[in-house]
Amino acid sequence: MDLRKTNKRLSQRFGGAVRATLSDGCVVLTGWLSTWNEAVEACQMAAKKYGAVHVVNNIVCDEAVAQPMRLPSLRDGALEGRRPDVLIIGGGISGASIARELSKWKLDILLVEKEADLALQASGRNDGEVHPGVDLSKGSLKHRYIRKGNAMYDQVCRELDVPFRRVGQYVCFDKGWLKPFIALYCLWRRKHDGIEDTRVISGAELKRREPNLNREFKFAVSNPSSGCVCPYGLTIAYAENAVQNGAQVSLNTAVLSMEVEDGEIKRVHTNRGTVYPALVINAAGVFAEDVARMAGDRFFSIHPRRGTNSILDKKAGARFSSIASIMELARSRGHSKGGGIVHTAHGNLLVGPDAVETFEKENVETRPQSIDAVFAKQEKTMPTLNRGDIITYFTGVRAPTFEEDFIIEKGRKTRNIIHCAGIQSPGLTTAPAVALDIEQMAVEELRKKKAVAPNEGYSPIRHGVPVLRDMADEERAELIRQNPDYGVIVCRCEEISRGEILDALRSPICVPTVDGVKKRVRPGMGRCQGGFCSPLVAKIIAEFLDVPLDQVKKSAPEANITFGRTK
Amino acid sequence: MRTYDVTVIGGGPAGLAAALSARENGAKTLLIEREARLGGILKQCIHDGFGLVRFQEKLTGPEYAQRFIDQVERGGIGVSTLTFVTRLERTQTGFAVTVVNRDGVETIQTKTLVLATGCRERTAKQVSIHGTRPAGVFTAGTAQHFTNLLGQLPTKRCVILGSGDIGLIMARRLTLEGAKVLGVYETKPTPSGLTRNIHQCLRDFDIPLYLSHTVTRVLGQDRLTAVEVSQVDGDMRPIPGTQELVACDGLILSVGLIPENELAQSLGAELDPKTKGPVCDGQLMTSVDGVFSCGNALHVNDLVDYVSESGELAGRGAARYAPAPRREVAIRTSPALLCAVPQRLDLNRDNSKTPLYFRSREVLDRCALRLRVDGREVFSKRYPFLRPPEMERLDVDFTRFGLDENSQIELDIEVMDHE
Amino acid sequence: MSELVCIVCPRGCALQVEREGDTFRVTGNSCKRGEAFAISEQTAPMRTLCTTVRTAFPGVPVLPVRVSAEIPKGQIFPVMEAIRAVTVDRPVDFGGVILKDVLGLGVDVIAASGLLRPADG
Repeated sequence: MDLRKTNKRLSQRFGGAVRATLSDGCVVLTGWLSTWNEAVEACQMAAKKYGAVHVVNNIVCDEAVAQPMRLPSLRDGALEGRRPDVLIIGGGISGASIARELSKWKLDILLVEKEADLALQASGRNDGEVHPGVDLSKGSLKHRYIRKGNAMYDQVCRELDVPFRRVGQYVCFDKGWLKPFIALYCLWRRKHDGIEDTRVISGAELKRREPNLNREFKFAVSNPSSGCVCPYGLTIAYAENAVQNGAQVSLNTAVLSMEVEDGEIKRVHTNRGTVYPALVINAAGVFAEDVARMAGDRFFSIHPRRGTNSILDKKAGARFSSIASIMELARSRGHSKGGGIVHTAHGNLLVGPDAVETFEKENVETRPQSIDAVFAKQEKTMPTLNRGDIITYFTGVRAPTFEEDFIIEKGRKTRNIIHCAGIQSPGLTTAPAVALDIEQMAVEELRKKKAVAPNEGYSPIRHGVPVLRDMADEERAELIRQNPDYGVIVCRCEEISRGEILDALRSPICVPTVDGVKKRVRPGMGRCQGGFCSPLVAKIIAEFLDVPLDQVKKSAPEANITFGRTK
Repeated sequence: MRTYDVTVIGGGPAGLAAALSARENGAKTLLIEREARLGGILKQCIHDGFGLVRFQEKLTGPEYAQRFIDQVERGGIGVSTLTFVTRLERTQTGFAVTVVNRDGVETIQTKTLVLATGCRERTAKQVSIHGTRPAGVFTAGTAQHFTNLLGQLPTKRCVILGSGDIGLIMARRLTLEGAKVLGVYETKPTPSGLTRNIHQCLRDFDIPLYLSHTVTRVLGQDRLTAVEVSQVDGDMRPIPGTQELVACDGLILSVGLIPENELAQSLGAELDPKTKGPVCDGQLMTSVDGVFSCGNALHVNDLVDYVSESGELAGRGAARYAPAPRREVAIRTSPALLCAVPQRLDLNRDNSKTPLYFRSREVLDRCALRLRVDGREVFSKRYPFLRPPEMERLDVDFTRFGLDENSQIELDIEVMDHE
Repeated sequence: MSELVCIVCPRGCALQVEREGDTFRVTGNSCKRGEAFAISEQTAPMRTLCTTVRTAFPGVPVLPVRVSAEIPKGQIFPVMEAIRAVTVDRPVDFGGVILKDVLGLGVDVIAASGLLRPADG
């Protein structure tokens, strides 16, 4: 790292407003800039892609007034005095998969999540693609984990009863003259980077496989190991399996501060009491830097990047069965793959995401410009793409570092913390493999303090709620015979029965809200978006909890659906 | 295996009328309803105004529905409630209808089908509303369900987007229950609902109506705290700089209805992009032989009386159906019409008294509907005014026009010169 | 002269009413009911009222009700208040009286639903 060169370039660009210095093995940027985009640009200038020396952003930025993390309103002492062996901060795919792998050991595991449900941020707000890793080079952690993670998906999803299909991915080209170069590139990926299955296929073959893609495509890179999974479904499944194996998941629980003494986290203060963990795992997504700071171990910075996806009606889903995107030559410099079209695990089409830098870690508002930009691009991938088929859209905020790689390591200054940070695409794909490594690191660390024995009762098998609409008539009839509630359809668009909704409420992590049920068994995910079924689902929840209907929430405890009886 | 001549899917006003009419025409009839009670959406439409055409009375939704339910329950019609159709398949003799209910999974054989599946409401995302995803954003029908069936107040202070009839009805209903309705915002320059509803639901309660306005954004993390409203230009696009925040805890959407035709499509029925319902002939048979459509699945109605009428027509058509080759001729519409039903005639069937339903594309005064065959006007009817929200209906004797398969039938509306 | 829209039927005729001494001259109406409506709007506007009433039955939180005949427009909210004070605790069929002669208006509040229809006896 040549700091002099970096400072020269920074000075040329920003006229001395920003400076980089080396401190504690990090490149620390200080100074003052007016916009967040400038601050990001400055940090990117100082960062080395996939480098192990991280940029820490201390630039004061006029525009980006740091907003405090939104905290749950809940205040109680439910966790007061808890002394878990492992405290996992964050209930996304990372935290949930780590909890599950750690539950193989006889450990007291506590996972805290500040939101009212698991996977409510980036883990539930992405495209669900299980990536092939074709665009990743050796040397990065992303590359190290991607093939292993990808290969683990069949088994993990079988164990956790989560739908997963290797539908294949096509990167499509409309310029035929590029074909020899891309063929060479694929060869290189196969031989050098171990992406064994990547191949170039002809335009005619692409047409045969996916007739609704742009007929002008001359060839495509085919990656048959790509697949799609329901990202929040997998996160919930991981967490449920962890709970079945003895872990505890505490929702609506935010870490407020930590007390660190002699390089050890001693006390972790939450809105539900003070916890005394032996080991902390930082899987806090966009807040990973803040958790690291609390732990006195901040050696990286997160620059949040928002992305918006649209979900299209299943009728559109029937026109395309895999994952595709157009590769354009003139592409503005950016870190997103530019999005694509995905046939989701549930049979919809997903279009997106875009990638926009933001300082707002929790702003998941959607904006019309995002939809416009994504469709403008993907209409080239599939000309028949119709915005009229959109049934919903959502924004997620990714949590990249400036090196654009993961951080999976023990604390540098603080001993009893392991960071699983900077997790962005392909973090869903890599999660199963990363979790295994973190499990090992954690056990190793804990063994310095105590003996760690295997959890003899551990079972990797989790049974999800049965999906009756996918069953053969005989199987469905048999289940209805056992439980007639499976024969009462509540959500007409997704064909969800009362029995399935009650199963979701009785699942290991009960989230008795309309959104919680929706995430687990899908009432309200269809084309009417809960217009017909949301009052019915609310009523079922009220009866299940034995509370008045107005006590049933959409999501968070403040998300009232109704204001009580009219009379 | 149960077998029927006519199976009606949907127990709302269209399906009830279809089942009664099929039975009256001698068919062994089954009526399938998803919910526990018959009546469809009328169960929650507790306001009055139903049945003026048919009964010359102003009935509430439940009262109107009950007149049909009582007849259905008098016997002779198989009724399966809390029963959901999962699959329709063609068979050699008709159709196999697979249903689930508390008894399990059953496949029923039927010679003909009447699809009376109603419609669904357009949602916030389908009209491009952005921002957060808080509680408090309801379609008007959902708000009506909470208020009228569950007795729950969905909002204390709300904005209504869209001046469709359900939106107007809910403006009054919520006001009666003590909520403050801050205004009804309509993207179009003219109201979407019936004029009488503008008056009795908004004017009577001093609720402002903002035309050429829309909601562009919703705010609030958990529960809605405000909406952003903007003026729109002639192409209904928001005009930058006209945004205004309105603090409220509810946004009620009445932004259009979409006929539900997923079952019809599963059988390959051709849909009309204008009505979003199946293309039908004068008997309301779809492009699939033996499959009939009626009510709001056929096209969105503003009066229940016409829903019932189309149900009767479809039920009769289904009961009397016998496979026969078709001799079809299309009824085309000029751009002056928003849509018309039926879209075609089968010249092998009786077209002597065919109800014709249509809507004009624009608000027009003193005009005439003109029916031309091969460019020659064969029929016309004058109207003092036509408004898109108000569907018009007339009977036409098509046998008088000497039609054959090559006839060019066109419907047009002409504004008459002022004398 | 005042202008109004007839709400008697869905047709929604645009009416003009002119006072001529003690009588009114109505134009724009398509039927007799329109004329009567226009005159009553000038003298004593009347409206129907449809709402719900609380019930004591589980599974039926509210029952749809309406007034048996139109009431003065100004009485809508007072009648709403009167209905709010009632809880239906016995089976009642369509047309069954919930509130007799509500507020002395000579009009009853009646059930407009068969949800609490008495079992056949």
